[in-house]
Amino acid sequence: MAQARINPIRVKDIGKPAEVLSPVNLQELAPLPPPFDKDDPAKLWKELAAERRQEVEASLDGVSALSLKRPSSPEEEKKLLEGFVAGLKKLLSTENNWTFLQPLTLSLEHCTHCQTCAEACPIFVGSGRNEIYRPSYRADVLRRLAARYGNGANPLKAALTGSVDLNWNTFARLAELAHRCTLCRRCTQACPIGVDNGLISHELRKLFSQELGIAAQECHRTGSMQQLKVGSSTGMPPAVVKDNIEFIDEEMSEKVGFKIETPWDKAGADVLLIHNAGEILSWPENPGAFAIMLEMAGISWTLSSDIAGYDAVNYGLWYDDFQLARVALKHAEIAKKLGVKKVVIGECGHAHKALTVIADRIFSQEYNIPRESCLTLMEDIVMSGRLKFLPERNDFPVTLHDPCNMVRAMGIVMPQRRILHKIAPRFREMTPHGVENYCCGGGSGFAIMNPNNFASWKYLVAGRVKLKQILDAFEGELDPSIPKYLCAPCSNCKGQFRDLFRAYNVFERTNLLYGGLVELIVNATEGVPEGFLEWEFH
Amino acid sequence: MGFLHVWAYVTLAGFVLGCAYKAIKYATMPMHLRWELYPVAHERGKASYGGSYFEEVNWWTKPRESSKFGEIKVILEEVLTLKQVHEHNPGMWVPSLLFHYGLYLLFAMGAALLAGGMAVAVGFRPLTFLAGGTLMSVWGALGLGLGTVGTLLLLFRRLGQAELRRSSSPADFVHLWLFLILFAASWGSFVTFDRSYAQAGNFLAGLMRGEAVSPGSGWFMAQVGILGLFLIYMPWSHMAHMFTKYFTWHSVRWEDLPNLPGTGIEKKAQKLLMLPVSWSAPHIRGDGRKTWVDVAREGGE
Repeated sequence: MAQARINPIRVKDIGKPAEVLSPVNLQELAPLPPPFDKDDPAKLWKELAAERRQEVEASLDGVSALSLKRPSSPEEEKKLLEGFVAGLKKLLSTENNWTFLQPLTLSLEHCTHCQTCAEACPIFVGSGRNEIYRPSYRADVLRRLAARYGNGANPLKAALTGSVDLNWNTFARLAELAHRCTLCRRCTQACPIGVDNGLISHELRKLFSQELGIAAQECHRTGSMQQLKVGSSTGMPPAVVKDNIEFIDEEMSEKVGFKIETPWDKAGADVLLIHNAGEILSWPENPGAFAIMLEMAGISWTLSSDIAGYDAVNYGLWYDDFQLARVALKHAEIAKKLGVKKVVIGECGHAHKALTVIADRIFSQEYNIPRESCLTLMEDIVMSGRLKFLPERNDFPVTLHDPCNMVRAMGIVMPQRRILHKIAPRFREMTPHGVENYCCGGGSGFAIMNPNNFASWKYLVAGRVKLKQILDAFEGELDPSIPKYLCAPCSNCKGQFRDLFRAYNVFERTNLLYGGLVELIVNATEGVPEGFLEWEFH
Repeated sequence: MGFLHVWAYVTLAGFVLGCAYKAIKYATMPMHLRWELYPVAHERGKASYGGSYFEEVNWWTKPRESSKFGEIKVILEEVLTLKQVHEHNPGMWVPSLLFHYGLYLLFAMGAALLAGGMAVAVGFRPLTFLAGGTLMSVWGALGLGLGTVGTLLLLFRRLGQAELRRSSSPADFVHLWLFLILFAASWGSFVTFDRSYAQAGNFLAGLMRGEAVSPGSGWFMAQVGILGLFLIYMPWSHMAHMFTKYFTWHSVRWEDLPNLPGTGIEKKAQKLLMLPVSWSAPHIRGDGRKTWVDVAREGGE
């Protein structure tokens, strides 16, 4: 007979029968600053309906990110568990996982469970320290399974590592648990040994995807697969994206009073700019501002209308090495075909890391076209004197969100700050910031994932610490009479802020606008009419 | 030659071979995709705030300024002050620091006695201070004292704090109990028999010469026996982080070498991309013959 819940939770409990292993406790969530401290979290919480619970697996914490269906027969269950074991062995083999074998093995073999990582995790802290969100928890489940079923498993190793049963509960909860970590790797940064529990979440996702075909559908089916087939994870084929950009060009031309025309497929351009295509649909002022800035600065640039060439996203980064490689190779082939001098990635953090860092070693020389962050290009433009600025147009409180993939994973820390110090007189830092930043809570695909009741988990748990940090940066200035700006130069982070701010009515209660960096630059550029940033159209 | 001497040889050899095996295993693992994490300590002029060469426009055209000194500084700071624990887990810091300093002192003493024994075996004059005396007594007592107090505090903490107890593995407790038993035997030997470590020096020097020096005391025998157990087990446990930390930090966290001409990365990658893949998901369908690059060039389902 299944218990309602198990408390307190230990690693080995993951396989035990319980309706919900460890539910989100709304009373224990980390507090928010006034006036948000009075909000009732229950209003944001969406309980999964009983019928839906019958359909999909939600026995970890009452949340379902994957809409995982229960096996219909013991044979199907057995096949899934055997698949898991086969995948585990592949994850620990050179042939199948040379890409991360060394870091994974080191992290599986050396955790001392000192819990130095725990307080670094915004999800663990934001949840009120729910045991299952502890960075070491899911990693320990995998450590125990690897000691039993991995290559080189033996009874002594298994006994010393600790017990865990491999059954449907473990399988399903582990798949979900791999999606309660944003892969921000703040835990890794804190570890004195260098153990990377964030990587273990990443590798778990790979095991489920690459062996069993289990992945968040927003990342796989309507994500990377759609990007490879249609051209973009947004579903926009080339003709539609060109139409949309033409519309944006018209809007921008109207705004600035001179003609803006985005160049397409210009062979030999200095810069191939690849935006996260989500910007084009959700924040058109961002690609618009890029077009204005690049045209005014006299940069030779182009967009690509090839399949995947106009969408920088690479969701494979979060769950599947092969999907990562497929999309990255498309980007490289397009750059080669156009003969550009470099690829510049727009304001999208994971796209930065995927194309510049993670895929770097799979490019042979002919496809190894230099890749660069838009932040450094923007710094070069802003500091070079090619444009003149009127910083007084940005005379409102501004704070900066550091996207994990650009900052902690790539070390791009100062260019955006030097720009802000030049164009935003009331810029202030969050605490902590730079490489010690907190994730927005939408990392690793969460920003695009809203199945079942997963969105309410994001609002209440994953984004909680970040929301507090943002509000704290404007302490004493939260009054809605003061317009203020959260500069977030990353599409996924903006997606998370859009949903988070909507859930908490942040704009209505504080007049806090979020947006990118390039919009702030254009807002302060001499020659652009005043009022590029528009609070009323948030 | 008695069992204890054979045990000492076997376990010392086991320790050296175990460490070597582990180090070679990690060192010869295939090149991985980049997974660095900032701050990267060798970034000259940028490491203090976590910056990288990616902050430069056209970064691939600029010389990379790398500082080995930066890496050594961070590693030394970590080893000597346990900085990360101090910053992120302050309650664990004092017990952990005492424990580690105890081990540093005892490990250094063991290494010094062993090296002294080897030197004498090959004809060097013995070093006076290693032959036993006040310095060795203080050195040993300090190492044992710090180690014992640190171990006890760590054990109390792990047993007393429910969250820590729940998240511990059986090995975490086994290690601490093993340390306590080792320290108890070492204290027994120290107090009753070998306060100046002269006997320990003689015993190790004898081992180096191939002579069976009598252990002389039950406590001493217990100390050697348990220490041997420890030595032979250590490389296979998470305690191996004493040397594998080099790989976690240097080969992963700080491994930021870009795939540029002359780095040899492309050549290594070409071999790895030709490895056969057997992942079974529908969008991969690895059959053990298709290579990594074959799969990457397919469009999926």
